Amino acid sequence: MIEDLILKLRKEIIDQLQLEGISPEEVDPDAPLFGEGGLGLDSIDVLELVVLLDKNYGIKIRASKEGPKIFYSVKSIAEYIMNNQKK
Amino acid sequence: MKFTLIYPKWKKLRGQTEFHLPPHGPVVFAAALPKDIEIKFIDENLETIDFDDQADLIGISMMLTSQVKRGWEIADEYRKRGLPVICGGIATMLHAEETSLHADAVFLGEAEGRMEQVLDDFRNNQLRKIYDYLTDFPPIESVGIARRDILKRQLYNYKGIQMVDLFHASRGCRFDCYPCCVSYLGGRKFRPRPFEKVVEELAAIDNNRLYIVDNSLSQDRTWEKQLFTEMIPLKKKWCCHPIDDDDEVLDLAAQAGAWFVYQAIFDISDFIRNRVKRYHDFGIGVEGTILLGLDHHTEDFILRLIDFLLELELDLAEFTVLTPFPHTQAFEDLHGEGRILSYDWNDYTCDKVIFQPKQMSPERLQDLYDEAWKIFYREKPQPYRMFELFKKVIDKEMDDGSYRGEQRTQTKRKFGREKVPS
Repeated sequence: MIEDLILKLRKEIIDQLQLEGISPEEVDPDAPLFGEGGLGLDSIDVLELVVLLDKNYGIKIRASKEGPKIFYSVKSIAEYIMNNQKK
Repeated sequence: MKFTLIYPKWKKLRGQTEFHLPPHGPVVFAAALPKDIEIKFIDENLETIDFDDQADLIGISMMLTSQVKRGWEIADEYRKRGLPVICGGIATMLHAEETSLHADAVFLGEAEGRMEQVLDDFRNNQLRKIYDYLTDFPPIESVGIARRDILKRQLYNYKGIQMVDLFHASRGCRFDCYPCCVSYLGGRKFRPRPFEKVVEELAAIDNNRLYIVDNSLSQDRTWEKQLFTEMIPLKKKWCCHPIDDDDEVLDLAAQAGAWFVYQAIFDISDFIRNRVKRYHDFGIGVEGTILLGLDHHTEDFILRLIDFLLELELDLAEFTVLTPFPHTQAFEDLHGEGRILSYDWNDYTCDKVIFQPKQMSPERLQDLYDEAWKIFYREKPQPYRMFELFKKVIDKEMDDGSYRGEQRTQTKRKFGREKVPS
């Protein structure tokens, strides 16, 4: 279920990105990851997310036009994992 | 002798992700100081100045017009305490007269071979008010290996990623571009450093990622080819200003580790489209630099230009507003026509409209400038584009075995500071 994956992903993202002062529950799954009003992630964080997807889900992200859509929010990452993880 | 060298802080470009590179001018200058001088370097962008710290002589190195007012404040503060101050650097040359009001001495020009005399004068209490070597260039062979050992390297590290080190392979520029003051500062004669010195210095830099700050590498094709050929074995990865559009040159540049190029996007043309494509064809990224506010820039042109940038598939874009720096043709023209609205050098940050544009109001140009950043980064946000560009250099390093990984001990720090909790 995507809700379970979002829950898991929020914790993994906080750990991988070493985000401090924020709990998984405080991460709005629909909020944009970049810019104001979201997590305000930077380029190094994206790199860490790419590592996370490879390490935890076996998904390799190549630089592509779809990248910003995949990394738009926690929910969009979860959806991408659901659609692309090898069964 | 204790010599404290200060690099004053300035306001960074609005809209751009914050970054701090290790300054180049101060480390090149430091190489021109005699070996027995004890240098303490302070980059005020990242450190606080302790004005009560002991020193025999204070040096203030200024690169940008937007640094000078802060530099003068610092000079005044030290002189109040009885410490002598000497100012130098590019911005000192552009603002020599004003700077001399705040300093015991100003040094204009290139420092190699001249500092022994200056320091002797200081020791003999005969420091001159102005040392003017502006058009008297020292032999290029006398440029020593930049003293990067005076930098606190951990300050130029972002979450474990070491920022690029700055390096120069030549001085002077054969071009004389409208908004640029390089021809005034370094002359129009291209002055390449000897290849053996270039290679020696490059090899000594404890960083695989560099920014070659030469004004344009497109000065002399034979030189360019040899430079890249010499660089190939070093496996450095680097960004730079334009490279000649020539198959052999671009191929050698790519082999030598060209990562991305700052390329001015000055019109909507097949020439520009092809220029960007050619870099990409050779695996070299492109950060477009876009100057807004020239006299022929109408509102419609600027909006079409932004659309064009998106078509070009630039890796990054940096927008600036025409800024009439002293000793440029832009200053002469705008000042002569009474169109400069501010002579407050703190406003000369390249993101503020400080002149009367020809085709629109200053407010409209300011709005278009802000819009340009927003539109360009709307679909692909700046952090994502920077990630892509960063990934390119990692891939290149992985391919040739030069990837060093990040510095794990620094992952919780941004430019020397503790990471601010999200």
